[in-house]
Amino acid sequence: MAAIATGVYFRSYQREMGLRHTKAQYARLAIVLAAMLIAPYVLGAYRLSILNTILIAVIGAVGLNILVGFTGQISLGQGGFLAVGAFTSGLLYMRAELPAPVSIACAVVVTAGVGALFGLPALRLKGLYLAIATLASQEIIVFVARRWDFLREETGAPLAVDRFHVGGYEIGREFFEFQWYWILLVCATLSVLAARNLFRTSLGRSFMAVRDQDIAAAAMGVDVTRAKITAFAVSSGFVGFAGALMAHYTETVTWESFTLEVSVLYLAMIIIGGLGSIAGSVYGAFFLMLLPVFLNATIGELDISWLASRLPAIENAVFGAVIIAFLLAEPRGLDRIWQRMKDYVRFWPFRY
Amino acid sequence: MRKTRTLLAVTAAATLALSACAPPGSDDEAADPDAPIKIGVIADLTGATGDVGTPYHEGMMGYIDWVNSEGGIEGREIDASADDYAYEVPTAERLYKQYVNEGAIAIQGWGTGDTEALMNKVAADELPFMSASYAEVLTDPEEAPYNFVVAPTYSDQARVALNWIAENGEGNQVAFLHHDSPFGTAPVQDARDWVQEEGLDLQVEAYPMPSGSANYVGLLSQVRAQGARYVMIQNVSSPAAQVARDIRAQNLDMQIVCLNWCADELFVDTAGAPAAEDHVLVQPFAPAGSGAEGHEVINEYLQGKDSSLEQEGLHYAQGWYTMHVMAEGMREVVSNGDELDGPALKEALETMGAIDTGGVIGAGEVEFSEDSHRGSSSTGIYQVKKGEMTVLEEGVTP
Repeated sequence: MAAIATGVYFRSYQREMGLRHTKAQYARLAIVLAAMLIAPYVLGAYRLSILNTILIAVIGAVGLNILVGFTGQISLGQGGFLAVGAFTSGLLYMRAELPAPVSIACAVVVTAGVGALFGLPALRLKGLYLAIATLASQEIIVFVARRWDFLREETGAPLAVDRFHVGGYEIGREFFEFQWYWILLVCATLSVLAARNLFRTSLGRSFMAVRDQDIAAAAMGVDVTRAKITAFAVSSGFVGFAGALMAHYTETVTWESFTLEVSVLYLAMIIIGGLGSIAGSVYGAFFLMLLPVFLNATIGELDISWLASRLPAIENAVFGAVIIAFLLAEPRGLDRIWQRMKDYVRFWPFRY
Repeated sequence: MRKTRTLLAVTAAATLALSACAPPGSDDEAADPDAPIKIGVIADLTGATGDVGTPYHEGMMGYIDWVNSEGGIEGREIDASADDYAYEVPTAERLYKQYVNEGAIAIQGWGTGDTEALMNKVAADELPFMSASYAEVLTDPEEAPYNFVVAPTYSDQARVALNWIAENGEGNQVAFLHHDSPFGTAPVQDARDWVQEEGLDLQVEAYPMPSGSANYVGLLSQVRAQGARYVMIQNVSSPAAQVARDIRAQNLDMQIVCLNWCADELFVDTAGAPAAEDHVLVQPFAPAGSGAEGHEVINEYLQGKDSSLEQEGLHYAQGWYTMHVMAEGMREVVSNGDELDGPALKEALETMGAIDTGGVIGAGEVEFSEDSHRGSSSTGIYQVKKGEMTVLEEGVTP
C-alpha cells in the first residue's frame, strides 16, 4: 500500500478520502468492471452457475473476515449463521408471503441478532476457547434445523422456495443463471464496498484495535464489549445475507447445506485469501470455489479411474495441502501475494 | 513507463478473459438420433454411506457397460458421467449443474438428502431422477413429478417390519434406531402413524444414532431402559453391524430388524456370523443366494470380470436393476421413434406398464403410473441363520 502510494500527493481532502489514488488502480478497476460486464455474455450457463455460487461465497467470506480477520474473534459458526439467514428468508418469503427483498432484509437483521447472541461468550473467551464456543453455536443451530418440523414442508421434504420474483419481475427458466448473475453481482459489489468502507470508520477501527490488543484498545477508550458484540452482529448480518441469497438461488433449504464442513471451508477461504483483507476474502472465495471444479475437470481429463473414484478425498487433501502451503509461504494470503507482485513490478529493477 | 505497464496489464487481463470464454457445452447434441444417451450419476463412494454406496454404484456402471456391449438402447449407447459426492449436498448440487450442462437427459442420484434437495430442480429442468432413496415423499407426482422410486419406500419397509414384529412378537416394545439425517428420519413418523392406524399393540420409540461412534453401548442402555425387545434399524450396514456386536457383547435379549440399507451380506460379514445370528432383515432386493432369475445376467456379466454376485453383494443387483428400469424407459421412447428427452422418458415410465426385473425387486415387477411413482411395494423378509440370509417371507406388502 505504502510503496504504491509513494509520490502520490493529494490536493484536496476529498481526493485523499478516495478508495483509489493511482492511475494503475483505476485501470485495474476498469478491467475488473469490464470483465464483470462481459462475463455473462461469454460464459455458458454452467460456468455462470459456478460464478453465481462464488458471488454468494464472496459475501459470506467478507462477513466472516470482518469477524475473524478484522476483529480477531475466531468463529466456527459460519454454517449455522448461513442456515439462520437461509431459513429466515425462505420462511418469510414462503409462509408469510413477504416480498423477496423484504424477506432478505429481515434475514439479515435476524441473523445479526442471532450472531450477537452467540457472540456473547466472546466477552469472556478468546482464541481456541472461543472457537469451541462458536462450534457449539454451529451445532445448536444445525440441530434445531434438523429437528424442527416447522422448517420443512408438511410432507417432510426440505423447505422449497418459489422462483425469485419481485413485483411483476420474475426470473425466467431460460435465463435463470443470467438474471441471477446480475442480482448477485450487485449484492456482492455492495457488500464488498460496505465492508471496505466499514474499516474507514471509527467502528471498524475499533474492531481492529480489539484484534491487535484488547487491553490497549480499552485503555484508549474503545468499548471492547460493544466492539466485540457489534462485530459479531455485523459479520453475521453479511453471512445472513449470503444465506438468504443462497436460499432464493438454490430454491431449496436443507440443513445439510450448512454443516461444519461449510464453516471450515469459509475459514479456509479467508485464510487463503488473507485475514484482515476484504479483497483477500474475494480472492479466497474465488480460489476455493474454483478448486474442486478445476480438480474435477483435470482428473476427468486425465481419465484415470482410480483417481476419479477418490476425488472427494483428493479434494480434501488438496485443501489441506494448500492451506499448509499458504501458511508457510505467505500467511497473509493471496492478497499479500498480489501486493508483492505489484511491488515487484513497480520497483523493478530494484529490490525495494 | 506507467502507460506501458497499464497497457501490458490490459493485454494480460484481456487474454485471461478471452481464454476463459471457451464455447459453452453444446446442448444440441441430443438431437442427433444415433448419439449416445447422456445421463449423470451422483454416487457416494467415500462418504458416510460409502460402504453400501460403492457396490450400488458399481452395479449401475456394470449395467451400463453390459447394455452398451449388448448393442445399447436400440443402437444408442448410454454415456454416463459419474462422480463421487461423498454424501455432501452442496457437492451434489454442483455435480447436478454440471450434468445438466453436459446435456444429460436423466439423473441417477443416491441419498435422501441430495434427492430431496434436487427434487424441485429436476422438476423445473424436466429430468427424470431415480435414486437409492426410497423416501415416501418422492412417490407423489404432485410433490415430485420427476422422481421415480423403484423399490418399496422406507415407510413401507418399516410398516412391513412392524407388522412382522406384531405377528411374531415376543414383546411389544420397539426401539427405532435411525441415521440422523433425512434418510434416517424419513420413515420414523410414518412408522408411528402405522402403529396408530392399524391398532398394533406396539410401543415405538425413535433414537437417532450418533455418527462416528466407536460403539453404541450408551444408546443400547437407553433402549434397554425402554425394555425394547426389538431394535429396528434404518441406517447403513457398518453402524448396524456395530449395534449387533454390542448387543452380543452385552448379552442383551434383543432382536434387530434391519431395513433395506443394512439388510445385507455386509451387515452379516461385518458383525460376524455369531453376532448376526437370528436378526431379521427386511430387504426388497433379492440377495445373491436366492436364485432369482434376474441374477443370471449379472452373474454372466461378472464372470467375465472374474467376479460373481456372491462377492459383490445384493446392492450390486440393486444398482443394476435401478439402472435397468431407467434403461427400459429409454428403450420404450426410442423404439416408439420419439425424441429421447426428459419429458418423453417420464411419460414412457408412467405409461409403459410393468417392467420385469426377474424377481430381483420386490415381487419382480416395477410399475409407475401418472398418479403414483411408487414402483413396487412388496419386499422380502429374511433371517440370518449361520451367517446366511434365509427367507422368512417373500413378496410381503404392508
